[in-house]
Amino acid sequence: MTIDVAHQGGAVPASSRRRRPGLLRRIVQNRNDYAYIAPALIVMALVIAYPIYYTVELSFFKTPANLAMDQKIFVGLDNYWTILTSKSFRDVTYNTLIWTIFSTFFAYVLGLGAALALNREFVGRGVLRAVLLVPYVISAVAASYVWKWLYHSDFGVIGALSVQFGFTDRPINFLDNIYTALPAIIVVNIWKEFSFAMIMLLAGLQTVPDQLLRAAQVDGANAWQRFWHVTMPHLKGVSMVTILLLVVTNLNSFIIPWIMTGGGPAGATDIWITQIYQLAFGRIRFGLASAYSVILFIVMMLLGYFYVKALTRGDEAKSE
Amino acid sequence: MAEVVLNEVVKSYGNVYAVNHVSLTVADGEFVALVGPSGCGKTTTLSLVAGLNEITGGEIHIGGRLVNDLDPKDRDIAMVFQNYALYPNKSVFKNLAFPLQMRKLSKAEIERKVMSAAKVLDIVHLLERKPRELSGGQQQRVALGRALVRDPRVFLMDEPLSNLDAKLRVQMRTELKRFHQDLQATVIYVTHDQLEAVTMADKMAVMNGGFLQQYDSPKNVFGNPANMFVASFVGSPAMSLIPLEAVTHGSDVALRSPEGWEMPLSPQNARKALGSTTSKVVLGARHSTVRLHQAETPGAVPGVVYTVEPTGDITFVQVFLGDAVVIVSLDPSFVVEPDQKVWIEFDQERIHLFDGATEKALPAA
Amino acid sequence: MSTQTASKPAPMPATPVRTRKPIDWWRWAGRGILAFLLIFTALPMAWMVITSLKTQLAALQYPPQWWPEEVTFENYLRLLSPNNAIGHEFLQYFWNSLYVSILSTVLGVVVAVPAAYAFSRFRFPGRQALFFSVLLRNMFPAVVFLMPLFLMMKWLGLVNTHGSLILTYLTFGLPLSIWLLKGFYDNIPPQLEQAARIDGATRFQAFFHIVMPLSSPGIIATAIYAFIMAWNEYVYALTFLNSKEMLTLPVGLQRFFAEYATDWPGLMAASFIMSVPVVVLFLVLQKYFVRALTEGAVKS
Repeated sequence: MTIDVAHQGGAVPASSRRRRPGLLRRIVQNRNDYAYIAPALIVMALVIAYPIYYTVELSFFKTPANLAMDQKIFVGLDNYWTILTSKSFRDVTYNTLIWTIFSTFFAYVLGLGAALALNREFVGRGVLRAVLLVPYVISAVAASYVWKWLYHSDFGVIGALSVQFGFTDRPINFLDNIYTALPAIIVVNIWKEFSFAMIMLLAGLQTVPDQLLRAAQVDGANAWQRFWHVTMPHLKGVSMVTILLLVVTNLNSFIIPWIMTGGGPAGATDIWITQIYQLAFGRIRFGLASAYSVILFIVMMLLGYFYVKALTRGDEAKSE
Repeated sequence: MAEVVLNEVVKSYGNVYAVNHVSLTVADGEFVALVGPSGCGKTTTLSLVAGLNEITGGEIHIGGRLVNDLDPKDRDIAMVFQNYALYPNKSVFKNLAFPLQMRKLSKAEIERKVMSAAKVLDIVHLLERKPRELSGGQQQRVALGRALVRDPRVFLMDEPLSNLDAKLRVQMRTELKRFHQDLQATVIYVTHDQLEAVTMADKMAVMNGGFLQQYDSPKNVFGNPANMFVASFVGSPAMSLIPLEAVTHGSDVALRSPEGWEMPLSPQNARKALGSTTSKVVLGARHSTVRLHQAETPGAVPGVVYTVEPTGDITFVQVFLGDAVVIVSLDPSFVVEPDQKVWIEFDQERIHLFDGATEKALPAA
Repeated sequence: MSTQTASKPAPMPATPVRTRKPIDWWRWAGRGILAFLLIFTALPMAWMVITSLKTQLAALQYPPQWWPEEVTFENYLRLLSPNNAIGHEFLQYFWNSLYVSILSTVLGVVVAVPAAYAFSRFRFPGRQALFFSVLLRNMFPAVVFLMPLFLMMKWLGLVNTHGSLILTYLTFGLPLSIWLLKGFYDNIPPQLEQAARIDGATRFQAFFHIVMPLSSPGIIATAIYAFIMAWNEYVYALTFLNSKEMLTLPVGLQRFFAEYATDWPGLMAASFIMSVPVVVLFLVLQKYFVRALTEGAVKS
């Protein structure tokens, strides 16, 4: 019989050395387990990992218009230089920022309002929630055409309504005006995605303990104080994630501007993604478009860093 | 039924040993309890026997057959889990039938065996229900039934009673004991509740930190704990342990406290104390062997009452001897007050002495 | 004493009113927001339906007919009858979309289920990599993958085939599917499989008989999410497909619009038909879809 009470203490420092066996050895040891994930890994390597690498590679080359990539020419950082010094880059970046910031802000605020209003029992709550979610579910292409029709310069219902209520004398041509085109498509984007924020925040609201709200009520907090001191702190984590996901989605959005305005009029709604698509498949400049993608990619990485931080901060808070 | 032999069994994760060179033999038809605090390795040991965890080193034999590399399904064992692990999407009948289906028994045979097990456990009226529609005690019976239907060679039970309320637990304890006696089954039973082990098991294996501390009958584990850990783990309230120093005055040996009082030892205890690797000796005493005096008594040592806990038929009193605590059980008619100065007398025949350095029980020399 | 009772009635009713009033105000504010959002959400969809019930002539009027003077289902009939050219073309797009979406969803689930199960149950190096691939997938614009994938599909000879879309959709759905399903498997106690294995099941049987049925809500959630994403996807379909008979609905709709530029009622009817499968799927399986959306963010 072995009796070694002192060894109990010895187990603790040993756990910090758990990573000692080499990576390769551990992979070989677990080779059966890898069979489960092999199919997923293979397609992901093929369709996700490899293209990322290839985009970075292409960004250093001048690519021929016939896409025969064996004829590509190494140009170093030329593509980056071309993009960063062009005037259009500045304008497009400006549009992208406006598009992203306003879409995200209003989608979040409307989503929060809807979530708070829906976070109590009333007749028709489920139906209402479902109806509000429909724009998020339907195709952005269909949504774009529906709104294009609503905004139609001659027969659009929005123009007709604004005349009817006496806001304007004539229907406004929303999508062909460089001042109204970007706001008009931002409205469509908010319409499409505010319910995403709503559903996330609604799920977040379920994590607010009822007891805490009741305790605050007993302590004499009014509705606003309860919202600000009890509900909002609980929504912080979900809000961070929601806002970051909205920002990323908006930076990546393509369909609404592409279908509704195609970047026009006069580039007033041109954002990074439409610009990249135009460069790649309009002008067949894959190298330049790749460099553009890499720039976007770096911005995304920075955002991703904050995203991970936001997520892990939530974890730390939980473990405390 | 079969004998189970563990020989130098090791389970390690990297450099962390969950089970460290454990050897024990469970005889055919024996009920063995694996006890210890959480994280002591008892559940891991059970999983190794079941084949749910891969063994790192050593050998496990069931019924004379080496099972190290056998799948759980080929070991012919049954297991009852702490949370019962009933299949939530299957009815009680199908839960009981599942092990038989997996063994490809005929429909009629399955029906017959499930019904007879259900009758034994008195759950016939529950057969069409889903697990979530059952009470905790009923789920427990179904879990037992699922183990019972196919008369395995060994029953493994992982804290099967810990999710039940106190009253039901006592009732199920008697039923389990009865069930073991009727079937003459080999049972390995994991629990953190030493009382369960003491009341049900033929033998108990006390584990701590992955090591087997003591493997013996409950009577011997209680009466002759092998070390300080076993002494403090088995018995409720726990054995009082008082760290002291052995001093010699000519041929007499006494234990001296940091406060300065001395307690002379009987010749037999003196020989034990001298066997300690250092002069540090720990005195152990169960509450029932300690006497409390209101006035100074020869051979008794001074202390101060800390708390008085009446439990009905016995009153427990905690007394501080310097920094150490001694628990004394008294008749409820005996009146003591907190902060009262009292004298404690130990029964030389029934005290335990431990080596202060190795924490092992000091053997009679 | 009498002065106190006399002065009391005045503030007394005021206090309860003052404490109740803010609550009412909040409730009304909530109703106001919901009413506004309901109008904002429903009006465009309502106008889509109304327009789709008009003749072309009735649609192109100013001021608009708020309700069609003459309700017609002709736009729908034209799109759904295989006998005329427009209907033939539209139905072809519809079946293409259905085929691509269903196949990529099914294959995606088949690949994701074992991977998610492994990530939930086994410990091996690279578990964190999954988390990052989910992030990566969310972070990168579709366009970043577009050029290299286009070149790769060209090289594989998959350009202008549905295979290219199926492979792309199933892969892009994978990180999220695995992540979601892993959450479901994490909630299934491993003791159930252990019990099954002791009861005589192999690892695969334990998974198939016990774990799979329990994870079906997760599989449904993942599948509808993947289906809706595939059904609505536009950019890859736009780039990878070029012949008319291969197009999926989103791209087909655009082409349809380019050809019949002024047929707004027809376009609205097409948009409506295109939305029907996903909206029905969403309404029927709403709770699963919501779970798919919120699971990762709220829990992690």
